[in-house]
Amino acid sequence: MQALDGVDLELVRGEIHALVGENGAGKSTLAAIAYGAVRADTGDVEADGVVGLVHQHFKLIERLRVWENVLLNREPRRGWTIDVAAARDRVRALAARYGLAVDPDAVVETLPVGVKQRVELLRELDRAPSVLLLDEPTAALAPSEIASFFTTIGELARAGTAVLVVTHKLAEVVAYSQRVTVMRGGRIVARHATAETNAPDIAREMVGGDVPALARRARTEPAPLLEVRGLSARSRVSALDDATFDVRAGEIVGIAGVEGNGQSALADALAGVVPFDGEVRFDGAPLAPNDTPGQRIARGIRVIPQDRRHEALVLDWTVRDNVALGRQRSLPPRAYAEAAREVIARFDVRPPNPDTIAGALSGGNQQKIVVGRTLASAPKLVVAYQPTRGIDVGAAALVQSRLIEARNAGAGVLLISFELDEIFACADRVLVIAGGRFVGAFDRASVDRGRIGALMAGDA
Amino acid sequence: MSGAALALAALLGLTLVKATPLIYAALGGVLSERSGVVNIGLEAILIAGAFTSVAVSGATGNPIAGTLAGIVAGMLVAAVLAFVATRLAVDQIVAGTGLNIAALAGAAFGLQLIYHQPGASREVPALGTPGENVLIVVAFLAAAALHVVLTRTPWGLRVRACGEDPSAAESAGIDALATRFWAVVTGGAIASLGGVYLALAELDLYSDGMTAGRGFIALAAVIFGRWTPFGATGAALCFGFLAALQFSLQRAGVPSELLQALPYLAALVALAGFAGRVRAPAADGMPYIRG
Amino acid sequence: MSAALRVRTLRELLVVIVVVFGVGSIAMLLAHVSPVDGFAQLVDGAFGTPEEVGETLVQAAFLLFPALGIAVAFRAGLFNIGAEGQLVLGGFAAGWIGAQLPLPAYVAVPMVLLAGAVAGGIWGAIPGFLKARFGANEVIATLMLNYVATLLCTYLVTGPLQQGGATAAETGALPKAAHLPDLIGLLADPQPTLAYLLTPFALAVILAFVLRRVLLHTVFGYELRAAGDAPEAAKRAGIDLGRTALVAMAISGAIAGLGGATIVAGELHRFNTGLSAGYGFIAIAVAIVGNLDPLWIVVASIAFGMLQSGGIAMQAEAHVPKEVIALVTGLVIIALAGRRAVANRRTT
Repeated sequence: MQALDGVDLELVRGEIHALVGENGAGKSTLAAIAYGAVRADTGDVEADGVVGLVHQHFKLIERLRVWENVLLNREPRRGWTIDVAAARDRVRALAARYGLAVDPDAVVETLPVGVKQRVELLRELDRAPSVLLLDEPTAALAPSEIASFFTTIGELARAGTAVLVVTHKLAEVVAYSQRVTVMRGGRIVARHATAETNAPDIAREMVGGDVPALARRARTEPAPLLEVRGLSARSRVSALDDATFDVRAGEIVGIAGVEGNGQSALADALAGVVPFDGEVRFDGAPLAPNDTPGQRIARGIRVIPQDRRHEALVLDWTVRDNVALGRQRSLPPRAYAEAAREVIARFDVRPPNPDTIAGALSGGNQQKIVVGRTLASAPKLVVAYQPTRGIDVGAAALVQSRLIEARNAGAGVLLISFELDEIFACADRVLVIAGGRFVGAFDRASVDRGRIGALMAGDA
Repeated sequence: MSGAALALAALLGLTLVKATPLIYAALGGVLSERSGVVNIGLEAILIAGAFTSVAVSGATGNPIAGTLAGIVAGMLVAAVLAFVATRLAVDQIVAGTGLNIAALAGAAFGLQLIYHQPGASREVPALGTPGENVLIVVAFLAAAALHVVLTRTPWGLRVRACGEDPSAAESAGIDALATRFWAVVTGGAIASLGGVYLALAELDLYSDGMTAGRGFIALAAVIFGRWTPFGATGAALCFGFLAALQFSLQRAGVPSELLQALPYLAALVALAGFAGRVRAPAADGMPYIRG
Repeated sequence: MSAALRVRTLRELLVVIVVVFGVGSIAMLLAHVSPVDGFAQLVDGAFGTPEEVGETLVQAAFLLFPALGIAVAFRAGLFNIGAEGQLVLGGFAAGWIGAQLPLPAYVAVPMVLLAGAVAGGIWGAIPGFLKARFGANEVIATLMLNYVATLLCTYLVTGPLQQGGATAAETGALPKAAHLPDLIGLLADPQPTLAYLLTPFALAVILAFVLRRVLLHTVFGYELRAAGDAPEAAKRAGIDLGRTALVAMAISGAIAGLGGATIVAGELHRFNTGLSAGYGFIAIAVAIVGNLDPLWIVVASIAFGMLQSGGIAMQAEAHVPKEVIALVTGLVIIALAGRRAVANRRTT
């Protein structure tokens, strides 16, 4: 399948141009080609000046300092050595000019995500780009940070830079851009001046029709399943402090929050990958803080990890062997093939051959295998961490439906997601996480998007 | 001076002698690993440096020529690893192991060809005495120089960037593959001096297996020293001290094999005691493949 | 095999052939020997007479054991470069115990082999434990233990556990009962020199089949491979990575130690410190050429066994130093270091 097919795009100075599309539509590829990092097979790219690109997953070197990252390969020199004082001054001046406060000497890995993005932005701005490409720039920002981000970008545009924002967040497109181009399946399907269109129309163009409906929600009588009191944990990338909440059998609890606010710590603590402090009861008995993942699985807790490629699948193995992973002891080896066929059928995995190598499948089909094998083991509690990350709309709807069906059948589901739409579609109750703490709880009836957004940003 | 003070001085002097090859190898290892390439082949570089310096010193009668030849040989051997690790993105440890086997055999082959006697060469013109030797001083100077280069020069920053995140480095316009290549080769030049010292200063000949795993002990020193030039030098000095102890302890009746095993056991203990708590450069050992 | 895989394998084969014949020829020319002569002697030395074929298979066997051990560790994601030390220690244990105990053959032989496996297993378990408990780099750990193993054996065999006299770095002779039995002698009117030499190879091939079954068709093998191929996913699937590392290294060492015992019981009939011609290192090449698959490793071991036995003849007849073989072996390892099965491991 072509990543891009006959694409034309023109960016004009002084404008914020939004490029929208679903995951896999080709937006990031186009941005990378425009930047010059990737070469197109046919066609060419012309730019009147320097092109800068702020990546979705920052290209920052974590263990180096801010000034080292901003000025990498362009450092001010004094003889043979780097003029560190001049470097610091230059970063400060740059930061002041664009209103992006940073400490030049801070080591990047110690910075919160919002500040890291400023560093990444400063790095590109130092090159005085005439074209600035921003790939999913607000994915990791809290709602209030988003407003100030677009203020900065707006000023840049007015000062004469041509700005391209690659995004799937239509509310921002409508609020902040002047032009919008819609991509689907590697092609441009629509171009508009933003003022002449609206979010629902753009959404339809992005998806090419209507989004498939989700499974119907049955009435359930929730019974206590997971009781968490004062849970604290640290994982490699985030920390959780003093969390208290319940999950009941037969309900989906959604955890809403911006990426990097403690979700990984929560998921890893429940999975048994990291230990926790605090009291947790599961299915009537205490949960040992130092359990191994194997022990959690034995209790009936299964976690769908965030990163399927590195945390869930063995990419070199067949679908059959991957379906067995996590149940390799409870299934006899002879039964692996049959189990694989069941998952393939129930989750519409394509191609439907158990001997396909997992690495050759698309992201959506890979995720279906992970979710499919998890649900096939009939766990009591499913922790689904970003279960539809980076997959196409059809696969996402299927995954969400199966999760709802599991809930209907009596499982408890903890849905951790960075997409509010997903949480609102699936959850019975919504909890909000910010800064490593739980800051709000809503049930389906009382859900208030604005309030949730404010809590996510850390406004009490 | 009292007898005890004399003995202590002798011990410290011997420590320097024993540590010097380790310091050179460890510094070469630091540079290589900071750029992101695990250099298991340090042993091969030591062998290359030792053998070539002896062969050329013997042939020309000039130990300086031998030294230069040793450095070139070390760089060539390092270049092989650098090439397969960067351009071909192979497993660096497997390649390094193959290099060690090839170098040891190659040197033994060379011994047969040149000297027609297996096992050892004859004695050749030396580069000074083991003790007050310029190469010992140069080792410490090299440590200081490497520290300055890594922390204060543009090239050093580029090297560190490649060792942490080559993809991010490339997006800043750095050629990660070339930077790694030259870091490994330069590291090879430094490490080869360890072999030169061992052959031309300490023993005045080349014998089969004379490097005896120093290249690997040097790697333990790199880890123990947290991948910094001064740390690795300090660790190398510790291992050198243990090797120097052999002579004192032998007179006390401790079995010689146990003494000879001390440096290896020490490296093991260092690995076990310090491993989990230190962090290697983030991209250390991971081949970088463009696009 | 898919088409892409076939092309890649063909290309690798080509590289290996170029390396072996190219470098080999250059080395022979340096030794003032025509490559034609040199290679002819090599092949002739390997397959010329039935005795020489037997010798080739013996060398193959001595390589096959450590190679299988290395492959097991490799599949678990661990680089065991300590097969040499594990092999030597296994040989020592076998030689020492065998010489001590006068027992009938059907007890002595298994006992001797078991001693070798246990000793090798312990020597492999040490770096396995250090890795599991402390995360210690097993590459350096196994390497260090190679040196320690040789020193330990030398010390023991000339000191506290000496049997052959303080100056001889070897144990006493194994009683006939502890010798590996004649396979062919049992079946037919034998060539006595050839007969017992086949037993090590036969044992090793059986072991290869067993290992293949364990790796591919048991839960233990599944978990071991998962730990090697995708450690993070394996951990989250409930696989204990530390325990897997420890067990894999212990098995790896045990197999190598068994190899050492086979050398002692099968050929030398005593232990001496020179029992290994670097088998533990060449076995790394055998494991890689065999793509970490036990059955292909059998084939690779025959190829390298041919190089070993042919190399001795090549040195004697054509006056090419046999170090050429080890040199070419090292280069083959470098050439194949990019193989998918090999380069897939996560490095520490």
